[in-house]
Amino acid sequence: MEIIKCENLQKIYQDNGVPVHALKGINLTINKGEFTVIAGPSGSGKTTLLNLLGALDKPTEGTVYFNGEVLYKKKRRELSRLRLENFGFVFQAYNLIPVLTALENIEFSMMLLGIPEKERREKAITLMEELGIAELANKRPNEMSGGQQQRVAVVRAIVNDPDVVFADEPTANLDSKTGDNLLNLMQEMNEKKQITFIFSSHDKQVMERAKRLLILKDGLLEKDN
Amino acid sequence: MLLRLAWRNIWRNKRRSLIVIGSVIVGVIATILMDALQNGMIHQMLFNQINLNVSNVQVHKKGFKDKKDINNFISKPAKVETIIKNQPHVKFYSKRVITFGLLSSTDNSSGVYIYGINPSQEKSVSIISKSIVKGKYLDASDGREIVLSKALAKKLNVTIGDKVVGMANTPSGSIGSDVFRVVGIFKTASSEFDKTTVFIPIVSAQQMLNIPGKIHEFAIITDKYENADIVSKALQKKLGKKYEALSYNEILPLLVLQMDLYKQLLIIVNLIIALALIFGIINAMLMAVYERIREIGVLMAVGMKNSKIFSMILIEALIIGVLGTIFGIIFGYGINALLLSGGIDLRWFAESLSSFGVGAIIYPKISLENFIQIITIIPLVSVVGAMYPALKAIRLEPVSAIRYV
Repeated sequence: MEIIKCENLQKIYQDNGVPVHALKGINLTINKGEFTVIAGPSGSGKTTLLNLLGALDKPTEGTVYFNGEVLYKKKRRELSRLRLENFGFVFQAYNLIPVLTALENIEFSMMLLGIPEKERREKAITLMEELGIAELANKRPNEMSGGQQQRVAVVRAIVNDPDVVFADEPTANLDSKTGDNLLNLMQEMNEKKQITFIFSSHDKQVMERAKRLLILKDGLLEKDN
Repeated sequence: MLLRLAWRNIWRNKRRSLIVIGSVIVGVIATILMDALQNGMIHQMLFNQINLNVSNVQVHKKGFKDKKDINNFISKPAKVETIIKNQPHVKFYSKRVITFGLLSSTDNSSGVYIYGINPSQEKSVSIISKSIVKGKYLDASDGREIVLSKALAKKLNVTIGDKVVGMANTPSGSIGSDVFRVVGIFKTASSEFDKTTVFIPIVSAQQMLNIPGKIHEFAIITDKYENADIVSKALQKKLGKKYEALSYNEILPLLVLQMDLYKQLLIIVNLIIALALIFGIINAMLMAVYERIREIGVLMAVGMKNSKIFSMILIEALIIGVLGTIFGIIFGYGINALLLSGGIDLRWFAESLSSFGVGAIIYPKISLENFIQIITIIPLVSVVGAMYPALKAIRLEPVSAIRYV
């Protein structure tokens, strides 16, 4: 079942007045429950594509559909709601909110959805226990290792039961063992909850796990395996 | 959680937040102390006037306030006195004969208002008896005694025991005069009053002016000065059109206007202080936003609406404003209570202050208006100051904010 589709997706950045074609026309369909990795060398447009699919950025040309609806016809408020309810994000630099504890970081998205405190706390604790990070509940990001932070970030991304999780180089700052554990966790979520995962990565470890591997080169889709 | 997040964000950079809160505290303290001092001075001016000769309410024959004509006397004071005595909120009253005349000594003469007073009644109505600096206050309602000010005594070159001659027009147009012995010298906070006012017993004044049993004024003190208007209106209704019952507001319109002007001035001064604070808040909040651009991008990415991000930044500023206001009020009122409640000694400026009817010691007085202005304006200003940084924050595009280094 198709969940995300893009047609002729182009993105031109201005670099000191010089136009840079980051994406030169990508056509792509992602189906529900896929574990897709967008790979390619640095500067190939992986992160740009991920950001466009995740409604974090706007294309210069082309269209992105989510569940059949054009993303960029939506207002900012509607895009925020979409990201809150349907998307989850995992960043390379973890990007947890530094003044909140791990538990609060996970609760935060639920708070934005208006879920009552008791209910969201219970859900966050249950998830943390399931994923073996319950002991991190009261730690702030600066008290956790990179791997621990990224696990919390994954829980934050899936806590609202999104349709799609976008993960931008999630293992880039982690050692291979920690990266492997994190990928296990994501794979488990993908299989158990049928959450679609879209990665951008040039990490072999990630590519090996992909059910579908998209190779980008110079802003164009070179391979789709 | 938004409140918790805002609170913790404030303390991420303790030093900066404390400096901003400190500047709010200093602003609030300055406002409180300045207001207390000015308010104290204005009230002192007003109450000095009330306590010298104005009292809270005056009753005259119609037209006496504007034209202090000797003929404009109350011919049946007993009837009026009964009405005043039975009027609720009236605490004290005193009968007065008032005329403008000339006071002469062997060396000099001066135009003065001659007040014929009942000394025992007057004690409760004015502070003249307490302002005697040499000699004594008047003893009885008759007798040829006079109390005059130190400034006038100096001008006439007289002292206790000396004789002066008082002269004034009588109702028939002839000149009434009498000799009085100086028994007391007073000094008040108002140099203008001192130069132009003397007191003699009421019966002596009536005899000199040939108006036996007649008076010009009832000076009334009410239980609370705020009740002056109520009493004057009630008396006016009971006494009818032949009389005028005036509260101090009507007798001292300029001073009352000055008080009103001062209140407006206070708003302007508070706004100027607020404007200065706004820039501090804008600066601090802009820095706070720029430091957290990446984080704001993440908040947007996880689905936080712009309105919530906007609110979060305003809440941070509001907390800073509220904390600054609370501590500013505590310190401001504390300083006022501990250091200034005994009055501020401004004797270096005594001469100029006395020409405004203010004593050398100013007793600061905190006003409710200022308190209300502070607790509303300062937090509001903090929020207004944070609006520009908050707008900057929500105009960010999530992707460029997340990439921001």
